[in-house]
Amino acid sequence: MDKNLASRPKVKVAFWITESTLAYLLLLPAIAVLIAFMLYPIVYVFLTSLYKTNRIGNLVKFIETDNFKTLFSRREFWEVTIRSVIWTVLAVSAKTLVGLTIALLLNVDFKGRKLARTLVILPWASSVPISAMLWQWTYNYDFGLLNYTLKITGLWKHPPHWLGYPLSAFFANLYVDIWIGIPFMALVFLAGLQSVPPNLYEAAEADGASLWQKFYHITLPLLKPVLLIATLLSCLWTFNDFNVIYILTKGGPVNSTDILITFIYKYAFSFLKFGPAAAMAVVAFAILLILSLLYAWFYFKSERY
Amino acid sequence: MKQNKGKFVVCFLIIVILLVLLFPFFVTLSTAFKPLKEVYASPPHWIPYRLWWRNFSDVWTKYPLAQYFINSFIIASGATLLNMVLCIPAAYAVARLKFVGRKFLLFSFLVVQMFSPIIVVISLFKIFARLGMVDTLSSLVIVNTVFTLAFSIWMLNGYFSTIPMEIEEAALIDGCTRLKAIIHVTLPIAMPGVVTTLIYTFIWAWNEFMFALTLINTAAKKPLTLGLYDLVGRWEVQWQYLTAASLFAVTPVIVLFILIEKQLVRGLAGGAIKG
Repeated sequence: MDKNLASRPKVKVAFWITESTLAYLLLLPAIAVLIAFMLYPIVYVFLTSLYKTNRIGNLVKFIETDNFKTLFSRREFWEVTIRSVIWTVLAVSAKTLVGLTIALLLNVDFKGRKLARTLVILPWASSVPISAMLWQWTYNYDFGLLNYTLKITGLWKHPPHWLGYPLSAFFANLYVDIWIGIPFMALVFLAGLQSVPPNLYEAAEADGASLWQKFYHITLPLLKPVLLIATLLSCLWTFNDFNVIYILTKGGPVNSTDILITFIYKYAFSFLKFGPAAAMAVVAFAILLILSLLYAWFYFKSERY
Repeated sequence: MKQNKGKFVVCFLIIVILLVLLFPFFVTLSTAFKPLKEVYASPPHWIPYRLWWRNFSDVWTKYPLAQYFINSFIIASGATLLNMVLCIPAAYAVARLKFVGRKFLLFSFLVVQMFSPIIVVISLFKIFARLGMVDTLSSLVIVNTVFTLAFSIWMLNGYFSTIPMEIEEAALIDGCTRLKAIIHVTLPIAMPGVVTTLIYTFIWAWNEFMFALTLINTAAKKPLTLGLYDLVGRWEVQWQYLTAASLFAVTPVIVLFILIEKQLVRGLAGGAIKG
């Protein structure tokens, strides 16, 4: 008995050491890959942003924060940054509202609900770049079926040349981004709605609560954690949307539909100005870091690690 | 009576929403069955005069669609395989073992998976140039692995943590080595999680566009997304072929996606929807 007790702590310590060694060994390959192809590139972008670069992106001369100074003095940089914010706010609000509406509708028990749920997923399930190409055809002014349908149904007698003018092109891009983002919102809210205990509604009904009162006082407060995490996630995705804008309009006409993410790409690979592009990437990185830290923090809070 | 009326309204609204959401897919189907003359008819019409099935065979003979498919398949399978090799041990470690920095690592994975590829594409382009790997499929295998790795570890960590430790410990007491216990006991139970992660990586790589656009120049090495984008760039786009090819390219991933959609949503939203 005594012997057993004495030997116990020893074994435990030894076990703990082997356990953590094993953990580090198992993690090593994945972390090495992430450091080499994720962390190092981020550090390299920071470095590039402080250098003058040549046309193939080699670092030529250390120029401190000159890239940032020129960037911040440029009007187009601010236009694009502000547009990124407007883009994100408009798209995320629309996705949240429509997603919530669809979730509430799909939460009603009706025939064909399962099929409807599956069909709602399709815009998200489809390949984003290919969807963007298909939308380009849908938006076609002369031969596209969107304008044709709007005209013959009388919904819009004179629909615009969607991708041809700055304002309509911006909304055309925005609509496709929203269209892709709606299914996730609908699904996540539906999952949230289904975890609301039904007896809460029954109790409210017994007290004579109206449909709106039930939604406002029961559903909405219970959905709050889902709402928070889903909108943060959506902000990240929307801010990052490269494929839709690049494929539909390449940021045109005349940069009118560029957001920060597409502008970075344009600066680097069309204008071959790697220094300023890297400086913009640093700005985008800072914004994304704040959003993803918030997301991860709320996620951790909800999971209790 | 009142309830029936309510259900009728709900059904009606759902149908309207579906018509709007599926609009581009209707356009795709309509165009894929039209000959060129009808595609560029003004005013356009929804129903093709006659179903023009030939588009679906012509795309394979007139364009290197088969090559694009093979390339996409190589990239996506390569990335999936590499991802599995890296993420299974890593996820096991964070889910099962105690070590200093575990929480920090989990948190970092969650943050890292949200970073935009655009931020690092400038550096990655330089890195691959230095390694002599620009214009190779392996460069795409690597980037697709890297950008799915953090989320894969997350998803799998979730699955591993739900399996009771006792099952594995029982195997250890029965004289199994730890490795054997993992392979014969833990992994089979976590199989749904492994499959979900696998499918997620495959779809991500299959749909990836930006890195392919940046790293690949040779036509014979282009994956589907980039190959189809080339068709759009031409002066007069053959939309009947593009839509037909899209249907081939997109259908398999849509089916795969619907299989994992529930787990994906849960993995992304975490405890907020577990109720």
